[in-house]
Amino acid sequence: MRALIVAAAWVLASNAWAADPAAGKAIAEKVCAACHGVDGAKPVAPENPILAGQYPDYIAKALSDYKSGKRANPVMKGFAEPLSKKDIENLAAWFSSQQSTLHFQR
Amino acid sequence: MPLRSLLIVAGVALAAPVFAQQAAPAGDPKEAHKKIAMCEGCHGIAGYKTAYPQVYHVPKLGGQQAAYLANALHAYKAGQRSHPSMRGIAASLSDKDIADLAAYYSQGHK
Repeated sequence: MRALIVAAAWVLASNAWAADPAAGKAIAEKVCAACHGVDGAKPVAPENPILAGQYPDYIAKALSDYKSGKRANPVMKGFAEPLSKKDIENLAAWFSSQQSTLHFQR
Repeated sequence: MPLRSLLIVAGVALAAPVFAQQAAPAGDPKEAHKKIAMCEGCHGIAGYKTAYPQVYHVPKLGGQQAAYLANALHAYKAGQRSHPSMRGIAASLSDKDIADLAAYYSQGHK
């Protein structure tokens, strides 16, 4: 029974987040690195957010909103517009798995 | 140079670019302790997800860049960002409140 639950959890987890962080890194190197850093941990300007260690679904939501224009930012819209849904998931997987000062705080 | 003068000079040097940019009040993380109650209900619960209008984790704020956090709150307050709860909360914040909260979260330790 216990093995069954573990197996079920593993299947669910692997299906739920089938994103590819390495593919995300390849996009980050070309598109995001100049402002956020390749790993998203050391942005070049204080206005640019740290992305490393952020929740992947929040990163994906932000990129989707920039792409659609719901979150109005001319610079980010330009970068987000060409990204596919899969690109966004892969970027979210890449940045969320990197280390930075970002952490949960009450 | 006596230490006190040195500190004043350093303080002015640090503060000057901030004031030159947007005359933003300096944030005081200690002042923020009186104001974080309204943030904690969502951002203070590890792994919390907002359910409306979409389901996703509310972002981690600890250690984020102060200028980014302040800009985000100002954008919610101005209606440029659309999350309903964040708009309502940001609308109640003064420029000083926003600076204090940005200082609190950006300087947070793990």
